[in-house]
Amino acid sequence: MATVNGQIETAQGNITTPSKQPLPAAKSVDSQSVLKRLQSELMALMMSGESGISAFPEEDNIFFWKGTITGSKDTVFEGTEYKLTLSFPNDYPFKPPKVKFETTCFHPNVDLHGNICLDILQDKWSSAYDVRTILLSIQSLLGEPNNSSPLNPQAAQLWSNQQEYRKMVEKLYKPPPSA
Amino acid sequence: MALQRKENACEDTNLAENEQEGFSKSFDANLADNEQEEFSESFVCCVCLDLLYKPIVLSCGHISCFWCVHRSMSPLCESHCPICRYPYYHFPTICWMLHFLLLKMYPIAYKRREIQTLEVEKKDDCYSPQFDDDNLVSYVKFDHPSTSSSCYAGNLASNPQNVGLSASMGQSGSETQKQHKGTICLKDVFSGSPEASGTPAQVKMMPQNDRQQKISVADVVCSACKQLLFRPVVLNCGHVFCESCIKNSADEMLRCQICQLPHPRGFPKVCLELDHFIKEQFPQEYAKQRDAIQLRNISDKPETPSCSLNKGGGGKAAWWSDPQSNVHVGVGCDFCGMFPIVGDRYRCKDCKEKVGFDLCADCYKIRSKIPGRFNQQHTPDHEFEVKQINIMQNIMRLVTGQLRDGSIENLPLEGIEFRLEDLDLVGDGDGDGDGDGEHTQNDSEGID
Repeated sequence: MATVNGQIETAQGNITTPSKQPLPAAKSVDSQSVLKRLQSELMALMMSGESGISAFPEEDNIFFWKGTITGSKDTVFEGTEYKLTLSFPNDYPFKPPKVKFETTCFHPNVDLHGNICLDILQDKWSSAYDVRTILLSIQSLLGEPNNSSPLNPQAAQLWSNQQEYRKMVEKLYKPPPSA
Repeated sequence: MALQRKENACEDTNLAENEQEGFSKSFDANLADNEQEEFSESFVCCVCLDLLYKPIVLSCGHISCFWCVHRSMSPLCESHCPICRYPYYHFPTICWMLHFLLLKMYPIAYKRREIQTLEVEKKDDCYSPQFDDDNLVSYVKFDHPSTSSSCYAGNLASNPQNVGLSASMGQSGSETQKQHKGTICLKDVFSGSPEASGTPAQVKMMPQNDRQQKISVADVVCSACKQLLFRPVVLNCGHVFCESCIKNSADEMLRCQICQLPHPRGFPKVCLELDHFIKEQFPQEYAKQRDAIQLRNISDKPETPSCSLNKGGGGKAAWWSDPQSNVHVGVGCDFCGMFPIVGDRYRCKDCKEKVGFDLCADCYKIRSKIPGRFNQQHTPDHEFEVKQINIMQNIMRLVTGQLRDGSIENLPLEGIEFRLEDLDLVGDGDGDGDGDGEHTQNDSEGID
């Protein structure tokens, strides 16, 4: 058996001799099944009524979601609300979605463009994660940053001084326009 | 918008069958189906979030669909369970007992999954093992060529309580099997192995459009003791045993008592979902089994196998970061399921399926005659050739392996593709040397 669906094979498909019947565009996952999975996630998310996080697809593109998380109680982010975007690849859930902060977030593991450094969104991704767990993970990342490999060194430095940090968060925080 | 869809679906709950038009067809049909046939939370695949279809139980006891497991596996290095990250590098065989259990309990939803999956498989021209479930009485068992009937006879004799039961079941099994075009030839598989039939005759002949059927203890019995499963474990070959029925000596690799296939990586963990399910469904029988087994453990030696994490895993440490190991990226062994193949790789020259038929060195020596894991119509008279590793892929594997220290599932493969393409274009003229482009290259060989 060989991967028919892996990207590597796709690469090989591209270079095959033209006389042969070309391999079908070997997408690793049928887009129908991605659709189905995202729809199931949406349903579950709406049913669960999870507080502190929410997410919903863009108007007509279920591969692109907008999410919000609120800062947890007893953290410097308490009372703040952040908007994020999640964009799902065609081989979701076998590859993680790209998640970005849309609201400025002063955090050691978030850079100025909103990119997030979180292992589960990269090499520790598992196909069992979903939007809910991603948002919950980011929510808990807010309160428990990984200061050893910061994207925002200034934030990492300031983290030890929680009072100053809170001031900084308040100063930089621009509440998202209410939807 | 999605909200509205949901309401739509709720309104015409009864129209599942007729729901053919509308832009959100699949969604509505999906929903309506689910409403018609609720299935237990325990049998939802964590990857596709739908009813399990052709379930595979990993060594850690977590269940997922055939394709969900396959697609979750890393083509470059060892894979990890999506739920608990337990490492494995053998693609397990479908657990047919669970397959038929689900088919029996949720015929409508399972049929829907079958249709969905088949659609995708047709598009990809790559199939999961196909079974004609009307004619299948027992779940499949892969016969091992080096351990033919005589060996089974020996097994049976040493275990006298099985003899009568299994012999009769075997007969009923082989009579009703019918070879079906495009399905695995069960006659071959079952020949001379009376022990094969794990599920007694009650299971047979399931009318397709019937409502849920009552399941019985016979649907969830141990392959060894033929009693209700207690703390079930599923081996790599897909056979299910009570944890206490598996015999395991510390220095030898665990082998399935039915098909003799090795189970890599030490002792499997109990499939808790299945265990809870059985406990709920058959509380009295379950309690009886538990008492019986506990009693036996006390009177016998209490040598209950431990689920040690590292047993068997230590020897093959980190082959993916070892420059000396020949890793055939994205290619798995159709016999033992090793994925990717490490070491020599043998490719069938005669299998025409796009997915190809490959064996690792160990399984090539055994000369397996089982059909492929993707329904390839492989027969014993097919010839093999040794395939070289793709040097470039291996270099990339090592580079990325060093960068990411083994955890390279999500490395940006686009970059690799690009470089691979470059290289392959250069070395394209000299036929076989590069070992990749395997489908097309082999196809052309076959046609010439």
